[in-house]
Amino acid sequence: MKQIDVMKDLLADNNKIADANRKLLSDKGIFTINLVGSPGAGKTSLLERLIRKFKDEIKIVVIEGDLYTTNDAQRIEQEGIEVIQLNTKGACHLEANMIAEALADLNLEEVDLLVIENVGNLVCTASFDLGEDMKITLLSVTEGSDKPLKYPIIFQNSKGVVVNKVDLLEHTDFSIKQLYQDLKNLKEDIKVFEVSCVKEEGILEFGDYLKGKIKTKQLATRSS
Amino acid sequence: MGQLFSIIQEYINNYNLERVTKVVLKVGEMTCVEDSALNFVFKSFAKGTKVEGAELVIQRVEAISKCRSCGLKYKVDFNNKLCPQCKEFNYNLINGDELLLESLEGEEDETD
Repeated sequence: MKQIDVMKDLLADNNKIADANRKLLSDKGIFTINLVGSPGAGKTSLLERLIRKFKDEIKIVVIEGDLYTTNDAQRIEQEGIEVIQLNTKGACHLEANMIAEALADLNLEEVDLLVIENVGNLVCTASFDLGEDMKITLLSVTEGSDKPLKYPIIFQNSKGVVVNKVDLLEHTDFSIKQLYQDLKNLKEDIKVFEVSCVKEEGILEFGDYLKGKIKTKQLATRSS
Repeated sequence: MGQLFSIIQEYINNYNLERVTKVVLKVGEMTCVEDSALNFVFKSFAKGTKVEGAELVIQRVEAISKCRSCGLKYKVDFNNKLCPQCKEFNYNLINGDELLLESLEGEEDETD
């Protein structure tokens, strides 16, 4: 009988590729977000609004993750933005190697912001680093305010939470007060943005926040 | 799981193992890994390989955060990350996010 000490990280391969992605993006001064959220929360809708409001000021490219369809990429393409569609063919999340391949196909010159729209899922997407600067979780009012406690890891690993469909608040039992309290317990400094994609509310605040982050990143790149 | 089995396969080759009898994993409380799902998928992957029949040991690792103010190391969970000493919020994990293949046990192939 032989006993062997191994001590190997099971996510090491993914993390290594994620770090390489992060370095490539940092060298080019591109700020990257990994946008996660449930199916139907409004990830693509948020992107459409964001692009419409900010595409003249910042150059945005998008990587779209989806199981089978190209629907989301077509929606983004209509906004006049370069977009790559990744189909996971059933897999429930994106992994770093898929992003590495997409990055090789994208024209990254002069890009300010890369948005990776992950597969609609609040579970596995939490565990796979793609090389992003931050995860942003999108939660919609119709899903209920209990989601941060039910899916703590994704919220705890996110720097920001966008609450979509706030125009429907009065028709649901969603407690915005409870949401803030639960998020604060998971991660005290988490940023929360209340938006309504349908009513086009709150998009500017979220976009301005991203613009600030882009600027900070580009300054850091230039001085390094 | 694919990653786990490719590491195990690497060790089977390097140590010329005939059979793997025990696999020890270290799993932090802050990962979303659940024991029964892990056991189930482990068995499925092991079927028909040198790992079939091996005992899977899952060692749970408590989530410990180190307070940035007073340096105290204390246990955290999803809903409570306040330092018991200075009541400050900390999510400065020093343990609890592990997902490691800790060790293997196996029988060596003595035919060569």
